[in-house]
Amino acid sequence: MGMNMDMSGGDNSTMPPHHHPTTSSDHSHDHMMMMMPMTFYFGFKDVELLFSGLVINTAGEMAGAFVAVFLLAMFYEGLKIAREGLLRKSQVSIRYNSMPVPGPNGTILMETHKTVGQQMLSFPHLLQTVLHIIQVVISYFLMLIFMTYNGYLCIAVAAGAGTGYFLFSWKKAVVVDITEHCH
Amino acid sequence: MAMHFIFSDEVVLLFDFWSVHSPTGMALSVLVILLLAVLYESIKVGKARLLHQALMNLSIPTSQQLIEEADQDSSSSDSLPVSRSPLRWFLCHFGQTLLHVAQVVVGYFMMLAVMSYNTWIFFGVVLGSGVGYYLAYPLLSMT
Repeated sequence: MGMNMDMSGGDNSTMPPHHHPTTSSDHSHDHMMMMMPMTFYFGFKDVELLFSGLVINTAGEMAGAFVAVFLLAMFYEGLKIAREGLLRKSQVSIRYNSMPVPGPNGTILMETHKTVGQQMLSFPHLLQTVLHIIQVVISYFLMLIFMTYNGYLCIAVAAGAGTGYFLFSWKKAVVVDITEHCH
Repeated sequence: MAMHFIFSDEVVLLFDFWSVHSPTGMALSVLVILLLAVLYESIKVGKARLLHQALMNLSIPTSQQLIEEADQDSSSSDSLPVSRSPLRWFLCHFGQTLLHVAQVVVGYFMMLAVMSYNTWIFFGVVLGSGVGYYLAYPLLSMT
Protein backbone atom coordinates (compact mmCIF):
# COMPACT_ATOMS: atom_id res chain seq x y z
CA MET A 1 0.00 0.00 0.00
CA GLY A 2 2.56 2.61 0.96
CA MET A 3 5.39 2.68 -1.49
CA ASN A 4 8.62 4.18 -0.38
CA MET A 5 9.39 7.15 -2.54
CA ASP A 6 12.52 9.22 -2.36
CA MET A 7 10.67 12.32 -1.35
CA SER A 8 11.80 14.99 0.99
CA GLY A 9 8.81 15.01 3.29
CA GLY A 10 8.85 12.40 5.99
CA ASP A 11 5.21 12.87 6.88
CA ASN A 12 3.90 11.70 3.53
CA SER A 13 3.32 8.13 4.57
CA THR A 14 -0.41 8.40 3.98
CA MET A 15 -0.06 9.25 0.29
CA PRO A 16 -1.55 6.64 -2.02
CA PRO A 17 0.92 4.87 -4.26
CA HIS A 18 -0.46 6.15 -7.56
CA HIS A 19 1.42 9.23 -8.71
CA HIS A 20 3.19 10.68 -11.71
CA PRO A 21 6.92 10.29 -11.31
CA THR A 22 7.73 13.51 -13.12
CA THR A 23 7.17 15.75 -10.12
CA SER A 24 8.98 13.76 -7.51
CA SER A 25 10.94 16.61 -6.03
CA ASP A 26 8.17 19.16 -5.61
CA HIS A 27 5.97 19.83 -2.63
CA SER A 28 3.22 17.40 -1.89
CA HIS A 29 0.62 19.96 -3.00
CA ASP A 30 1.65 19.58 -6.63
CA HIS A 31 1.45 15.85 -6.25
CA MET A 32 -2.11 16.02 -5.04
CA MET A 33 -3.18 18.23 -7.91
CA MET A 34 -1.65 16.13 -10.66
CA MET A 35 -3.03 12.84 -9.49
CA MET A 36 -6.37 13.29 -11.15
CA PRO A 37 -6.32 14.80 -14.61
CA MET A 38 -8.79 17.59 -15.19
CA THR A 39 -8.49 17.79 -18.96
CA PHE A 40 -8.84 15.24 -21.73
CA TYR A 41 -5.74 13.33 -22.72
CA PHE A 42 -4.86 10.36 -24.88
CA GLY A 43 -2.58 7.85 -23.26
CA PHE A 44 -2.32 4.35 -21.97
CA LYS A 45 0.39 4.54 -19.36
CA ASP A 46 -0.52 4.30 -15.72
CA VAL A 47 -4.27 4.67 -16.16
CA GLU A 48 -6.19 3.67 -13.06
CA LEU A 49 -9.63 2.32 -13.82
CA LEU A 50 -12.29 2.24 -11.11
CA PHE A 51 -10.58 -0.22 -8.78
CA SER A 52 -7.26 -0.06 -7.06
CA GLY A 53 -5.79 -3.16 -8.66
CA LEU A 54 -6.92 -2.23 -12.16
CA VAL A 55 -4.12 -0.21 -13.75
CA ILE A 56 -3.58 -0.01 -17.48
CA ASN A 57 0.05 0.13 -18.56
CA THR A 58 0.29 -1.16 -22.10
CA ALA A 59 -1.52 -0.64 -25.37
CA GLY A 60 -2.86 -4.18 -25.25
CA GLU A 61 -4.41 -3.60 -21.84
CA MET A 62 -5.92 -0.36 -23.09
CA ALA A 63 -7.45 -2.20 -26.04
CA GLY A 64 -8.94 -4.74 -23.66
CA ALA A 65 -10.28 -1.98 -21.43
CA PHE A 66 -11.75 -0.24 -24.49
CA VAL A 67 -13.66 -3.36 -25.43
CA ALA A 68 -14.83 -3.95 -21.88
CA VAL A 69 -16.07 -0.37 -21.45
CA PHE A 70 -17.73 -0.52 -24.88
CA LEU A 71 -19.59 -3.67 -23.89
CA LEU A 72 -20.55 -2.19 -20.53
CA ALA A 73 -22.08 0.88 -22.18
CA MET A 74 -23.92 -1.35 -24.67
CA PHE A 75 -25.23 -3.51 -21.85
CA TYR A 76 -26.43 -0.39 -20.04
CA GLU A 77 -28.54 0.72 -23.00
CA GLY A 78 -29.94 -2.77 -23.36
CA LEU A 79 -30.81 -2.87 -19.68
CA LYS A 80 -32.75 0.36 -20.00
CA ILE A 81 -34.82 -0.97 -22.89
CA ALA A 82 -35.36 -4.30 -21.17
CA ARG A 83 -36.67 -2.56 -18.07
CA GLU A 84 -39.04 -0.53 -20.19
CA GLY A 85 -40.38 -3.64 -21.88
CA LEU A 86 -40.83 -5.46 -18.60
CA LEU A 87 -42.67 -2.50 -17.16
CA ARG A 88 -45.08 -2.40 -20.06
CA LYS A 89 -45.77 -6.09 -19.85
CA SER A 90 -46.48 -6.03 -16.16
CA GLN A 91 -48.83 -3.08 -16.05
CA VAL A 92 -51.63 -4.72 -14.15
CA SER A 93 -54.34 -2.37 -13.12
CA ILE A 94 -55.80 0.81 -14.46
CA ARG A 95 -57.33 3.00 -11.82
CA TYR A 96 -59.77 5.74 -12.59
CA ASN A 97 -60.02 8.59 -10.14
CA SER A 98 -62.85 11.01 -10.68
CA MET A 99 -63.11 14.33 -8.99
CA PRO A 100 -65.50 17.23 -9.45
CA VAL A 101 -64.04 20.48 -10.65
CA PRO A 102 -65.79 23.81 -11.21
CA GLY A 103 -66.70 24.42 -14.84
CA PRO A 104 -66.91 27.65 -16.83
CA ASN A 105 -70.49 28.69 -16.08
CA GLY A 106 -70.64 27.65 -12.50
CA THR A 107 -71.40 24.09 -13.47
CA ILE A 108 -69.63 21.13 -11.94
CA LEU A 109 -67.56 18.97 -14.28
CA MET A 110 -66.15 15.55 -13.52
CA GLU A 111 -62.46 15.26 -14.22
CA THR A 112 -61.23 11.72 -14.58
CA HIS A 113 -57.63 10.70 -14.09
CA LYS A 114 -56.36 7.42 -15.37
CA THR A 115 -53.40 5.87 -13.61
CA VAL A 116 -51.65 2.66 -14.38
CA GLY A 117 -49.86 0.98 -11.56
CA GLN A 118 -48.05 -2.01 -10.24
CA GLN A 119 -48.53 -3.79 -6.97
CA MET A 120 -45.76 -3.27 -4.48
CA LEU A 121 -45.06 -6.83 -3.40
CA SER A 122 -45.43 -8.43 -6.79
CA PHE A 123 -42.59 -10.20 -8.51
CA PRO A 124 -42.40 -7.79 -11.47
CA HIS A 125 -41.91 -4.87 -9.13
CA LEU A 126 -39.19 -6.65 -7.17
CA LEU A 127 -37.48 -7.54 -10.43
CA GLN A 128 -37.72 -3.92 -11.56
CA THR A 129 -36.15 -2.84 -8.29
CA VAL A 130 -33.22 -5.21 -8.67
CA LEU A 131 -32.70 -4.10 -12.25
CA HIS A 132 -32.93 -0.50 -11.12
CA ILE A 133 -30.14 -1.02 -8.62
CA ILE A 134 -27.99 -2.63 -11.30
CA GLN A 135 -28.79 0.25 -13.66
CA VAL A 136 -27.82 2.88 -11.09
CA VAL A 137 -24.55 1.12 -10.28
CA ILE A 138 -23.61 0.75 -13.95
CA SER A 139 -24.51 4.35 -14.71
CA TYR A 140 -22.25 5.55 -11.88
CA PHE A 141 -19.47 3.26 -13.12
CA LEU A 142 -19.78 4.78 -16.58
CA MET A 143 -19.67 8.25 -15.05
CA LEU A 144 -16.53 7.37 -13.11
CA ILE A 145 -14.93 5.91 -16.24
CA PHE A 146 -15.68 9.12 -18.11
CA MET A 147 -14.20 11.00 -15.18
CA THR A 148 -10.78 9.44 -15.81
CA TYR A 149 -10.63 11.97 -18.66
CA ASN A 150 -8.87 9.34 -20.77
CA GLY A 151 -9.75 9.97 -24.41
CA TYR A 152 -9.84 6.31 -25.44
CA LEU A 153 -12.12 5.29 -22.58
CA CYS A 154 -14.46 8.24 -23.14
CA ILE A 155 -14.77 7.35 -26.81
CA ALA A 156 -15.51 3.78 -25.75
CA VAL A 157 -18.35 4.97 -23.52
CA ALA A 158 -19.88 7.15 -26.23
CA ALA A 159 -19.51 4.54 -28.97
CA GLY A 160 -20.90 1.80 -26.76
CA ALA A 161 -23.89 3.94 -25.83
CA GLY A 162 -24.54 4.71 -29.48
CA THR A 163 -24.23 1.11 -30.62
CA GLY A 164 -26.38 -0.13 -27.76
CA TYR A 165 -29.04 2.44 -28.51
CA PHE A 166 -28.97 1.52 -32.19
CA LEU A 167 -29.26 -2.20 -31.58
CA PHE A 168 -31.75 -2.26 -28.73
CA SER A 169 -33.92 0.78 -29.16
CA TRP A 170 -35.69 -0.22 -32.31
CA LYS A 171 -38.73 -1.35 -30.43
CA LYS A 172 -38.97 1.61 -28.13
CA ALA A 173 -42.49 2.84 -27.87
CA VAL A 174 -42.44 5.40 -25.10
CA VAL A 175 -41.85 8.70 -26.82
CA VAL A 176 -40.36 10.79 -24.10
CA ASP A 177 -39.25 10.12 -20.55
CA ILE A 178 -39.13 13.49 -18.85
CA THR A 179 -37.27 12.08 -15.87
CA GLU A 180 -34.31 10.98 -17.94
CA HIS A 181 -31.37 13.28 -17.43
CA CYS A 182 -27.94 11.74 -17.54
CA HIS A 183 -29.34 8.36 -18.33
CA MET B 1 -8.64 19.09 -6.16
CA ALA B 2 -10.81 21.23 -3.91
CA MET B 3 -13.99 19.39 -3.09
CA HIS B 4 -16.22 22.39 -2.45
CA PHE B 5 -17.76 25.13 -4.54
CA ILE B 6 -15.69 28.26 -4.92
CA PHE B 7 -16.20 31.58 -6.66
CA SER B 8 -13.20 32.08 -8.87
CA ASP B 9 -12.21 33.65 -12.17
CA GLU B 10 -9.69 30.93 -12.91
CA VAL B 11 -10.62 27.50 -14.13
CA VAL B 12 -9.52 24.93 -16.66
CA LEU B 13 -12.48 23.35 -18.39
CA LEU B 14 -12.41 19.98 -20.12
CA PHE B 15 -9.51 20.64 -22.47
CA ASP B 16 -5.97 21.90 -22.02
CA PHE B 17 -6.51 24.93 -24.19
CA TRP B 18 -9.64 26.04 -22.36
CA SER B 19 -8.08 27.83 -19.45
CA VAL B 20 -9.75 30.92 -18.06
CA HIS B 21 -7.91 33.67 -16.23
CA SER B 22 -10.06 36.78 -16.38
CA PRO B 23 -13.63 37.88 -15.67
CA THR B 24 -14.32 38.31 -19.39
CA GLY B 25 -13.05 34.85 -20.09
CA MET B 26 -15.17 33.49 -17.27
CA ALA B 27 -18.28 35.26 -18.57
CA LEU B 28 -17.64 33.84 -22.03
CA SER B 29 -17.09 30.36 -20.63
CA VAL B 30 -20.30 30.53 -18.64
CA LEU B 31 -22.11 31.54 -21.82
CA VAL B 32 -20.64 28.60 -23.72
CA ILE B 33 -21.62 26.19 -20.95
CA LEU B 34 -25.10 27.70 -20.90
CA LEU B 35 -25.47 27.12 -24.63
CA LEU B 36 -24.21 23.58 -24.13
CA ALA B 37 -26.96 22.93 -21.59
CA VAL B 38 -29.55 24.43 -23.93
CA LEU B 39 -28.22 22.12 -26.64
CA TYR B 40 -28.59 19.15 -24.32
CA GLU B 41 -32.25 19.82 -23.66
CA SER B 42 -32.95 20.41 -27.36
CA ILE B 43 -31.27 17.12 -28.24
CA LYS B 44 -33.64 15.34 -25.91
CA VAL B 45 -36.64 16.94 -27.59
CA GLY B 46 -35.19 16.26 -31.02
CA LYS B 47 -34.78 12.59 -30.22
CA ALA B 48 -38.38 12.36 -29.03
CA ARG B 49 -39.65 14.00 -32.20
CA LEU B 50 -37.62 11.66 -34.39
CA LEU B 51 -38.99 8.71 -32.47
CA HIS B 52 -42.50 10.03 -33.00
CA GLN B 53 -41.82 10.25 -36.72
CA ALA B 54 -40.35 6.77 -36.78
CA LEU B 55 -43.39 5.34 -35.06
CA MET B 56 -45.68 7.14 -37.46
CA ASN B 57 -43.76 5.61 -40.31
CA LEU B 58 -44.66 2.23 -38.91
CA SER B 59 -48.20 3.49 -38.19
CA ILE B 60 -47.91 2.36 -34.61
CA PRO B 61 -50.02 4.70 -32.48
CA THR B 62 -47.88 6.45 -29.90
CA SER B 63 -49.03 6.83 -26.30
CA GLN B 64 -49.85 10.47 -26.99
CA GLN B 65 -52.18 9.52 -29.82
CA LEU B 66 -53.78 6.81 -27.72
CA ILE B 67 -54.53 9.31 -24.98
CA GLU B 68 -55.94 11.73 -27.53
CA GLU B 69 -58.14 9.00 -28.96
CA ALA B 70 -59.40 8.04 -25.53
CA ASP B 71 -60.16 11.64 -24.70
CA GLN B 72 -62.03 12.22 -27.91
CA ASP B 73 -64.22 9.29 -26.97
CA SER B 74 -64.75 8.31 -30.57
CA SER B 75 -63.31 5.51 -32.56
CA SER B 76 -63.52 7.45 -35.77
CA SER B 77 -61.17 7.55 -38.66
CA ASP B 78 -57.53 7.21 -37.99
CA SER B 79 -56.06 10.04 -39.95
CA LEU B 80 -52.42 9.11 -39.56
CA PRO B 81 -50.37 9.32 -42.71
CA VAL B 82 -49.45 5.74 -43.35
CA SER B 83 -46.14 5.64 -45.11
CA ARG B 84 -44.63 2.24 -44.59
CA SER B 85 -41.17 2.94 -45.84
CA PRO B 86 -38.39 0.93 -44.20
CA LEU B 87 -35.79 3.35 -45.49
CA ARG B 88 -37.47 6.31 -43.81
CA TRP B 89 -37.75 4.37 -40.60
CA PHE B 90 -34.10 3.40 -40.79
CA LEU B 91 -33.08 7.00 -41.36
CA CYS B 92 -35.16 8.10 -38.40
CA HIS B 93 -33.60 5.42 -36.23
CA PHE B 94 -30.08 6.27 -37.38
CA GLY B 95 -30.74 9.93 -36.70
CA GLN B 96 -31.94 9.05 -33.22
CA THR B 97 -28.76 7.05 -32.63
CA LEU B 98 -26.56 9.98 -33.63
CA LEU B 99 -28.57 12.27 -31.39
CA HIS B 100 -28.22 9.74 -28.60
CA VAL B 101 -24.42 9.70 -28.89
CA ALA B 102 -24.44 13.50 -28.91
CA GLN B 103 -26.67 13.50 -25.84
CA VAL B 104 -24.37 11.12 -23.97
CA VAL B 105 -21.26 13.14 -24.81
CA VAL B 106 -22.82 16.54 -24.03
CA GLY B 107 -24.28 15.16 -20.80
CA TYR B 108 -20.90 13.92 -19.67
CA PHE B 109 -19.25 17.19 -20.65
CA MET B 110 -21.74 19.05 -18.49
CA MET B 111 -21.03 16.70 -15.60
CA LEU B 112 -17.30 17.28 -15.96
CA ALA B 113 -17.86 21.04 -16.12
CA VAL B 114 -19.78 20.95 -12.85
CA MET B 115 -16.98 18.81 -11.43
CA SER B 116 -14.66 21.79 -11.77
CA TYR B 117 -16.50 22.99 -8.65
CA ASN B 118 -16.57 26.53 -10.00
CA THR B 119 -19.80 28.18 -8.87
CA TRP B 120 -20.19 30.39 -11.95
CA ILE B 121 -19.95 27.38 -14.24
CA PHE B 122 -22.45 25.55 -12.08
CA PHE B 123 -24.88 28.46 -12.38
CA GLY B 124 -24.36 28.37 -16.13
CA VAL B 125 -25.28 24.70 -16.28
CA VAL B 126 -28.37 25.13 -14.13
CA LEU B 127 -29.59 28.23 -15.97
CA GLY B 128 -28.87 26.67 -19.33
CA SER B 129 -30.88 23.58 -18.41
CA GLY B 130 -33.77 25.77 -17.35
CA VAL B 131 -33.67 27.94 -20.46
CA GLY B 132 -33.25 24.91 -22.68
CA TYR B 133 -36.20 23.15 -21.10
CA TYR B 134 -38.29 26.30 -21.38
CA LEU B 135 -37.51 26.75 -25.06
CA ALA B 136 -37.49 23.16 -26.24
CA TYR B 137 -40.24 21.25 -24.48
CA PRO B 138 -43.19 23.13 -25.99
CA LEU B 139 -41.90 21.90 -29.34
CA LEU B 140 -42.59 18.35 -28.19
CA SER B 141 -46.33 18.48 -28.63
CA MET B 142 -46.29 20.55 -31.77
CA THR B 143 -46.70 17.65 -34.20
